[in-house]
Amino acid sequence: MTHTLTIASRELRSLFVSPVAYVVLTLWSVIAGTFFLASLIGFQERLIQLQQYQMFQQIELMNLNDELIEPFIGSMWVILLFLLPAVTMGLVSSEKANGTDELLLTSPISIWDIVLGKFLAGAGFVTVMTAIVAFFPAILFVYGEPELGKTISGVLCLLFVSITYVAVGIFASSVTRSQLIAFVFTLVLLVMLGMMLPFIIDISMAGSGLGRESGIAQSVRWMSTGSHVDRMLKGLVDTADLAYFVISSAVFLLLSKTVIESARWR
Amino acid sequence: MSNESSTQKQGNSPAIEVAGLAKRYGDFEAVRGLDFEVMPGEVVGFLGPNGAGKTTTMRMLTGFIPATDGEARIAGHDIFSDATNARRAIGYLPETPPLYPEMTPASYVDFVARLKDVPRRSRKEAVERALGRCGLLDVRGREIRQLSKGYRQRVGLAQAIVHEPKVLVLDEPTVGLDPIQIREIRSLIQGLAATGGQTVLLSTHILAEVDAICQRVILLDRGRKVLDQPLTELTGGGTSLEEVFTRVMTRDEAIEPGAEGEAA
Repeated sequence: MTHTLTIASRELRSLFVSPVAYVVLTLWSVIAGTFFLASLIGFQERLIQLQQYQMFQQIELMNLNDELIEPFIGSMWVILLFLLPAVTMGLVSSEKANGTDELLLTSPISIWDIVLGKFLAGAGFVTVMTAIVAFFPAILFVYGEPELGKTISGVLCLLFVSITYVAVGIFASSVTRSQLIAFVFTLVLLVMLGMMLPFIIDISMAGSGLGRESGIAQSVRWMSTGSHVDRMLKGLVDTADLAYFVISSAVFLLLSKTVIESARWR
Repeated sequence: MSNESSTQKQGNSPAIEVAGLAKRYGDFEAVRGLDFEVMPGEVVGFLGPNGAGKTTTMRMLTGFIPATDGEARIAGHDIFSDATNARRAIGYLPETPPLYPEMTPASYVDFVARLKDVPRRSRKEAVERALGRCGLLDVRGREIRQLSKGYRQRVGLAQAIVHEPKVLVLDEPTVGLDPIQIREIRSLIQGLAATGGQTVLLSTHILAEVDAICQRVILLDRGRKVLDQPLTELTGGGTSLEEVFTRVMTRDEAIEPGAEGEAA
């Protein structure tokens, strides 16, 4: 446990002095600000329009959560797919490139210490990213009355998705010594996991005789993060969705551990 | 922690014991049935041409790669069944020092001290001592990436000695350094063995280096031990180390022409 924290704190310090981290955090903040402002303006324009046409019933139905916060966090999730690989690409691959894996693997620590240490560091970093996003809905509480529960559920959703993706990134980073390859591989995995899986299964199921609601189709759809994210953004915190994040993180961490361990036997 | 028991019997039991150690990569035998012992306080030079199996042997001893066959003990701890204690007893400087370029020598050595289970109370002291012995106090706060190659090698050495290991394994510690840096690193290693009483196993293909710091030579060729003798015996008759080296290597080639075919 102490070793895990030792690895995590070293990694976190290195992350925060790396230029990549600052580029990512800057881009992330700028994109979040732009998206938020754009959705805020859009929200206001619709409100004015509805007022002009005197559609008071529609105005009653409009609320900050459904029309602003949910789509805002949803778009940040998509941005995450493309920015997170830059954060996680070096987590394990740079150890191999630096030769520091030789230090770690000859120290009296376990491979789990290495994998979990990296995971904790990555989780710490994405917590900062989530906090930046959470700042914008927080402003709305000053001027309006969004639902607190729904907003928190949305922010937590982004946090859990990010942490799960960190586990994916660690796995992709552990199979190579090149950060570039790790970046591309993580991106491919995340895009597949996040968006492509349901489409692919729909297309291939339509071709076969099985149909879209067959067992395979449903289980593949469960494997994709999209459906879980959608539900949680709407404020539905379900144990099944939480279990999804825990299980997929565990699977990718286990894979990373196996890859690192088997590399020594080659 | 549990190192007490081994300290008691360390008087006459070897610091490194290797029996039948072997490493195969597919059909290629990198190390074939190596046997040797190193007594506490000895400085032993691991000599041999490139590809003789020096690095592979060191990596097996330090637990970086598992051996295909054979046994090894470090300070009485088996490297397989008692790996954690064996690793605690070893300080290892790989061929490329395992450094994080963005860290400072002080924070890096502190990180390694934590990894190697240096107790919290004595950690700060241990880090200072390691930095001091390797002459790093002046550059302790600079980024490692800004340091010269010689200084990086010193940081690598500081990392290897911070937990006061019984056994030091140094893989080509002077390769790629200029003559002045080489002299500095050599005197550093000599100092460690003399004052710290540490057992040192160091690999090199520079004969002068063995002459300068080692008490004993183990010569490897194509994964086999071809010579294991104290330096005084070897060069006692007025022959230089280079002559001995060439003689052994050529004899070896003459004796087993079949070895190449066997390996291929």
